Amino acid sequence: MKELQELADHLINGYADRVAAVTQDLLNKGATPQTILNDGLIAGMTVVGERMRTGEMYLPEVLQSASAMHVSLKILKPHLAKDGVESRGKIMMGTVKGDMHDIGKNLVGIMLEGAGFEVIDLGLNVQPQKFVEAIQTHQPAIIGLSAMLTTTMLNMKTAIEAIAHAGLRSKVKILIGGAPVSQKFADDIGADAYARDAVKAVDKVKELIAA
Amino acid sequence: MECRPSDRVPFVPAIYEHKAWFVHSTPSVVCRDVKLFTEALLAEYESVRPDALTVGVDVYNVEAEAVGCKVRYYGEGDSSVPAIEPDTVLYHGEDDIGSLRMPDPSKDGRMPVNVEVAKNVVQALGKEIPVRGAVSGPFSMAASLVGPENFLMLTITQPALVHEVMKFCAEVIKQYATAFVRIGCGVVIFDSQSSPALISPDMYRDFVLKPTQELIRSLQTLGVNNVPLIVGGNTSDILEPYLETGGNNILCDYPANAGEFLARCSAARRAFRRNIDSSDFITTTPEKLRARTRECLDEGKGYPGFILGTAVAPFGTPLEHLLAIKTAVEEYSKKGSA
Ligand code: B12
Repeated sequence: MKELQELADHLINGYADRVAAVTQDLLNKGATPQTILNDGLIAGMTVVGERMRTGEMYLPEVLQSASAMHVSLKILKPHLAKDGVESRGKIMMGTVKGDMHDIGKNLVGIMLEGAGFEVIDLGLNVQPQKFVEAIQTHQPAIIGLSAMLTTTMLNMKTAIEAIAHAGLRSKVKILIGGAPVSQKFADDIGADAYARDAVKAVDKVKELIAA
Repeated sequence: MECRPSDRVPFVPAIYEHKAWFVHSTPSVVCRDVKLFTEALLAEYESVRPDALTVGVDVYNVEAEAVGCKVRYYGEGDSSVPAIEPDTVLYHGEDDIGSLRMPDPSKDGRMPVNVEVAKNVVQALGKEIPVRGAVSGPFSMAASLVGPENFLMLTITQPALVHEVMKFCAEVIKQYATAFVRIGCGVVIFDSQSSPALISPDMYRDFVLKPTQELIRSLQTLGVNNVPLIVGGNTSDILEPYLETGGNNILCDYPANAGEFLARCSAARRAFRRNIDSSDFITTTPEKLRARTRECLDEGKGYPGFILGTAVAPFGTPLEHLLAIKTAVEEYSKKGSA
């Protein structure tokens, strides 16, 4: 369908108004919300991720696309719910205690939403206990921990310990990321996976969900 | 080209929140206490003997706080670094710009604390080494006032407003920087939020270059000839406009390409600081750091404008690690001249 490509293009260009109009138009013409999500939004956000990786798009443009995506998702949500379409999985994101960096974490969240996952954001400077409580409340499949400081990355370990202590470790997969962390660090602290950037994070989440 | 020891490459480690460690305290306590803050700087000098001192702990917060943003400080024993509370941004839309209040560096927020500390340190050490007051760059300050993501989006949706906010921020910073200069202190500008990690080189040119140029020029008019401009991350793609700001020295952070900086800075007769990655400073060994330092020094070999620095030293970096870098710099220079 031509309009689906149009939707993806407007999304890539960050034109929220046009994205909203085309989303509505597609629904009126009888396209299923699932098709609009997959072949319009997810297709568009995949290109955004790719262009970000190659340096063709910078953060302000990516944020623009993300806000267009949110406008469309808002229109689609009731229709998706009515059709009983479930998200690809629930992912909870948070920056660990003492750390006030959230731009990277938010970008990971955007790309996950753009890939069809439901994202619950706990914000920044998140205490270990808050992770525990939020897992109990939301029961996510995966929790993504972010840290940008050498000092606060140690608080990822504390968060994982708190989750284990509450008896929840086997209930969630833990993915970590942020500039100072690495696969080795993930192994050392007992996380399930590490991803270097937002695009890789989506791949990892897909792997973890499939596992 | 820069104020430097004549016999070796200058060593300027990035010690901000880690200052508190030298007086067995925490960043949240030290950054609000003139006496402790002064003592921390003196202790940093005594212990590390760097070639410049920076008056600043949480270097991106002071201006936005003085305008009215809230900073999150941490309680006793918690060594986390203070930062602006994200939900206290002051700018929500066009109407807010007129309502933003120009702070008075002698009264508002912690500006007077930092200026007082600078005065004490200049008095104690000003004859021995450069002492510089840390100020935000206009883009980084604006990102704090507006909230970084909102501000980044405004660069696309409302560029004229971004210019307005930048103008306001540049003026706040100029006033604050002038207060440092008046007491005989230098100035160093921190503007890592204008790094290509967040904005494109075109955006750097459109929004950041002019107000930064003007700020640096106004400081030069006040007699501050070398104004370091610190933009972290991989800044290779903005090297040209970075040089055009007039900053001296500029930062070649560890992800940036030292070869390019060397070529362009020598042509422009500008000093640059090459950073050693600090992400393993707490856990690494002195031997590894010495080797890493030598590699870095090789990158600037023979260039009189080369300065060796570090990315921000995390709170709790063992002293022997910082001294290992310092010793490697000294040994390298001896070997070079032998
Ligand atoms: C913006 C910024 C800030 C802003 C943050 C605003 C915000 N709301 O986020 C402010 C001004 C508040 C700030 C403060 C400080 N900062 Co800062 N900051 C940066 C900067 C310039 C950019 C970070 C960024 O947003 N990058 C863009 C995003 C898109 O990239 P990213 O964060 O790396 O995220 C990607 C990946 O890491 C990964 N990822 C991230 N999270 C996750 C999570 C998961 C689950 C996964 C899978 C992947 C993943 O995917 C992301 C997208 O691709 C960097 C330097 C730089 N140029 O990178 C320094 C930097 C991170 N900061 C640093 C420091 C030291 C500080 C301060 C301590 C400075 C001070 N003395 O005041 C304070 C600390 C405050 C605190 N308590 O946290 C250092 C950290 C050094 C270290 N290794 O410890 C850096 C590296 C600068 C440097 N060169 O020294 N900072």
